[in-house]
Order: sequence, then C-alpha cells, then structure tokens
Amino acid sequence: MSTDRADSAESSQPLTSEQRAILDLVLNLIVPPSADGRMPGAAEVGVLAYLAAEAPDALPLLRQELDQLDLRSRERFARGYAELEQAERKNQIEAMRAQAPSFLGRLAMETLACYYQHDRVLAGLGREARPPYPKGYQVAQGDLSLLDPVRARGKIYRDAP
Amino acid sequence: MTTDVDVLIIGAGASGAAFAWSMADTRMRILCLEQGDWMNPADYPSTRRDWEVRMDREFSPNPNLRRRPEDYPINDVDSPISVLNFNGVGGSTILYAAHFPRPHPSDFRVRSLDGVAEDWPIDYATLESYYALNDRQIGVAGLAGDPAYPPHEPPLPPVPLGLAGETMGRGFNALGWHWWPSDTAIATRDYAGRAACVNLGPCKAGCAQGAKSSADITYWPVARRAGVQLRTRCRVREILVDANDMATGVVYYDEHGVEQLQRAEVVVLACNGVGTPRLLLNSKSPRFPHGLANRSGLVGKNLMLHPWGMVRGTFDAPLDSFLGPLSCSILSQQFYETDRSRGFVRGYNMQVTRGLGPVATARIGVARGDIPWGEGHHEAFARRYGRQIGVGICCEDLPEECNTVTLDPTLTDSNGMPAPKISYRLSENTERMLRHGLARGTEVMQAAGAWDIYSEGPVRQTGWHLLGTARMGEDPERSVVNAWGRSHDVKNLFIIDGSVFVTSGGVNPTPTIQAVALYVADAMKQRLANLFD
Repeated sequence: MSTDRADSAESSQPLTSEQRAILDLVLNLIVPPSADGRMPGAAEVGVLAYLAAEAPDALPLLRQELDQLDLRSRERFARGYAELEQAERKNQIEAMRAQAPSFLGRLAMETLACYYQHDRVLAGLGREARPPYPKGYQVAQGDLSLLDPVRARGKIYRDAP
Repeated sequence: MTTDVDVLIIGAGASGAAFAWSMADTRMRILCLEQGDWMNPADYPSTRRDWEVRMDREFSPNPNLRRRPEDYPINDVDSPISVLNFNGVGGSTILYAAHFPRPHPSDFRVRSLDGVAEDWPIDYATLESYYALNDRQIGVAGLAGDPAYPPHEPPLPPVPLGLAGETMGRGFNALGWHWWPSDTAIATRDYAGRAACVNLGPCKAGCAQGAKSSADITYWPVARRAGVQLRTRCRVREILVDANDMATGVVYYDEHGVEQLQRAEVVVLACNGVGTPRLLLNSKSPRFPHGLANRSGLVGKNLMLHPWGMVRGTFDAPLDSFLGPLSCSILSQQFYETDRSRGFVRGYNMQVTRGLGPVATARIGVARGDIPWGEGHHEAFARRYGRQIGVGICCEDLPEECNTVTLDPTLTDSNGMPAPKISYRLSENTERMLRHGLARGTEVMQAAGAWDIYSEGPVRQTGWHLLGTARMGEDPERSVVNAWGRSHDVKNLFIIDGSVFVTSGGVNPTPTIQAVALYVADAMKQRLANLFD
C-alpha cells in the first residue's frame, strides 16, 4: 500500500543510510522476493515508512538493534553486516532471534502486516488491491441438498418439561 | 438539573435498544444514557485498505487494547479469558459476529433434566414469540427446518456456504453428524431500508454496508422516531435510592466530564454482564452497603463466559475461504445436548468460521512456525491462504459463585470510577467438554480432508458472552431479579441484559438477550398500573 502518510513519514529519515541498508537486508531475510519475480521482497514494500506511521514507538529499539547487529558482525567477522555473505547474515539473524526474540518477533509481525497489504503483493496473490467496501465479493450460495441426510435423521433436540 | 423521565435506560446496546423500541409505544418519557457515541460506518475498517490492521487496533474487541476514551479498563489478570465488548450506540453488536443461533428448550431446564445448576423461571416457550419478533425486527437470515430446533422460520435466506461451508458440510456428513446453515443477524436481502450483504468479510469490525443487524441501525432509528431520547457520551457512576428502597435516578458524567443528576421513575440496566454488576456494586448506600439490589449477595457472581476452543484446518484445494461473513457459515449441534457417556453434562456448539485475510494468515502462520522466514515463505503461505477453515467450540459453562465480577481496588476509568475485576476459572466439567470439543473438531476436519490441523483452547481473546452476574429467579435469596427482570430488592429497578441469564446454554447469547429484553418490556407494559407492587 502506498499512502501519502507513509511517504511523508519516510521522508523524515528515521534511520541512517547504514541502518536502512541493514534493515533492508533483514527484511528480505524475513520475506524474500519470490524466485519467479511475482512477489516482491519485504525490503521493497515500504516497511520503514509503515513503522514510522503505524508503530513509531518501535523506532528507537529498531535503531538500537540494527546497530547491535552491525556491531556483533564486526566483532565476529571483522566486517559490517552489509558486507557479510548471505549465509553469514542468516546466521547472525538466527543468533539475534535467539537472543532478542521479542524485537525480531515484533519486526516480523509489523513487516508481515505491511507486506500483505501492499498493492504488489496483493496483485501477486491474484487479489484486487482495494478495500472490501463498497464492492464486496461474490460467494457461491452452496449446495443445500447436502443437508438431505441431516434432515433424514430427524429431530435431535430434547423436549423440556 | 435535567428533566425527570419516566424510564431511564442505562446502555444502548443489544438489550437497551430492543427494550427502548418496545417501550416507545407507551408514550412515556424514555431516556437512554450511553457512555459511547454513535458510530460512523464510513470509519469502519472495511472501507480501508488496511482493514486487517485496523481490526486489531481501534476496533479491537478488547477494551484494554482498544482504549477509546469511552472505554473502561477491565482487570482480567485472574482469568484465562479476556472480556470483550464495545461501548457505543449498538454496544457490542457493533463488533459482534452476528452468529445468531437460539438456545434449545433444554437450556432453560438444566436442573430438571440434568441435575445441575438451576432452572430458569421462564422457558423457551415463553420467549419463542420474542425470538421471532426480534428476528423480524432486526432481520435474521437462516434456513427453516433445522432438526436441532423447534420449528422456526428466519425471515431471510441463509448466508452463502461458499466452497468452505460445502467442504465442512461434507465432512459432517461423512461422520453422520448434524450440521446446518447458521442463523445470522445479517440482511442477506435488502431489508427494512438496509442494503443486502455483499460479503465484505470483516463483520467483527463493524459493517460498512449496514447489512449486519447491529442495534444502532435496527432498533434505535425506530425507537428515536417514536420519541425515545438517546444521550451519548454519558457515563453513569451510580444509581440513587431513597429510604423506601426505590431508585430515584442516577448520577452520571456528561460528555464534558461534568457530573449530572438524572431523576427517573424506573431505572433499567442494560450494561452487559460485566457493566451491570460493576454499576450495582458501585452504587453503595447505607441501605445497600454491599451494592444496590444485592441483598442476595449474588450481584457479580456466577459469571459465565462460554470458554471457546478453536480448531483450524488447512486443505489442499483452493477454497477462497476468506470470502464471506467471517464467523458465520454453518454450525453443528451434534454434541449440544447432554450425553453422560461423554464424561460431562451439557454440551457445546460447533461454529464453522471462514478463512483469514492475508495479514492474519501470514502472522499466525509465522507465529506458529508453519510459515517460515526466508526460503519457503511464499510456498508455505500459498498452501494456507484461502485454504483454511476454522471450527469454534462454544462450551456451556455452568454458574459457579467463585466466578465473579468485583470492583478493582485501584484500577479506575477516566472518571475515577472503579474498574471491574474478573476472577474466573474453568470447572472440571467445562475442561472435559472443551477437550471433547477440540477432539471432535479435529475429527471433522480430518473427515473433511484437512491436512494440517491444530487446536487450542480456551482461547484468551474470546470473552464476548458476559452472562449470569445478576440472575433471575423466584427466590430473592438465590437470585437478583424476578422472572420478569425486576429487582427483588428495588422494585423500580430492572435488569434486561445478559446478567439475568440463569445458565448460559452453549450458543451466542444475543438472540436470547434481545428476546428477554422484549419480554421484560411486555411484562412491564402489562403491569403498568401496579408495576411496583
């Protein structure tokens, strides 16, 4: 979903360019682009703007944890997180997931909320990018003859005195 | 000082609205005070792209999460089930699922039939005409001929089964179990000036179409045209009583937070099974030191919440299961009536629910570990989205005095009024019933062809049904109100919400809440000359 509010929030630059680069790598580890190109990666759907608009309380911790991720990477590999190989990045994230599950858990939940409302994602799922109202949806009435055996078995409630 | 009224109703939800509509023909001066406001359907989540997220925030059914100015906090730490509600014109019908099954005749005679709890002082036959009246007034959809019920004919055709409903119907058939299209409070055709349902989906976040029969768009417009006044953003703090044990009116905070006095000849409580005992317990006086109308000591006791289990299954075939009214499809009452060989008395309703939207599918799947991060994410999501169906297990919990609503000693609302505190536990009977229901739900999922099935219960965020905390009965020592809703202790005080339930049955209570409200209104109208005798 692309909204003016989200675009505005993004322009306020809640992260440094280094933090932003690390965040994009983390987001694509959560939801990567699909191999067939039909589904974008989570780094492509405006998660940061979404967080700034919908969960601004999460931003201070986000900055802190992204910096921590980079710091640990430098301590362990002598390279920043962005310079790691993909397998190394995954290992770092898994380690962080074990050490700080609540942070990454919340980031994942917010990311999924943003991702699965985005126009490109809904298009990839074969869904129209619109609110349910006013158009609504067609649903098949269904085959009520399936009830014939239920009718045939007869009354199942108890009479009461 | 406000103008005195004849009848003061506290709460504009399901029961207050039905009662107001019925009483309007008396031409009495009737006023309703509601702590919430009118809803604007244009604000409902289904009008927006981010509807799934909005459902969990400002339209959350949990007031502790929703935190609107009109909400009061609820201390539910001592309960495995959180209390859910909505404060506004229409009350919790704004957010309810509109699943609208009636109880069974046996639900009113549990002592006589099963030797547990107590019989109601009224029976199904007493309420039958009021169920039918309510169905017509609000517009209820369903299919006549359900062998689980005495004959009745919903005025509107049932909601569509869809592929998901058909799939589950075949599963129930394979086991030889009962199932039927649910009665639902949804206009499936244009009805009484309201447009027909177009399957928006998220009924539980308000219906922008106006097809869901919430009380703000069914009873209230008619009641107001007939002269009933409705004053919003007014939170009642206490009910006043005189030296003759008669209610004289209420003290409330108006929309500006200013304390007001409203005098009335009759006071009617319609605040639900938590709000009503809260207000009574907060209305202490020298004549009622333990709370108004509480000489029995039963105000706030016998809380029943309908512990809820959920079974969810995933199917191979694409079912578009997220289409249609989320929680309304079909039900099964195969295990509703008592069969002692199951290891418990009473029973439960199985409520088939539809699939979830993409955000909820992904979030739940990831949280459960069914949908991974990274590689395999898209494939796992695609195997679930639109292919999942739920079966809810709505257990009848029996009244127990240890399950209570009391006043929290420290937590208050924005006006400084004590918040309700919930203390609740599941009985052994209910635990057995829930386990049985989860196992049977799993069984029917298997019979329907699901390949990935999980179950849980009691589900915490399911405390919609707030019942039993000011129950009706003939004995003033064993009940709070009489058989037609009048307080035993305060003869111009009436209670018409779910508080008066003696037992809970195993179905969504709103049809019965509204039928009782209409019945009490008729009982009062028939006794106007000697209402307080």
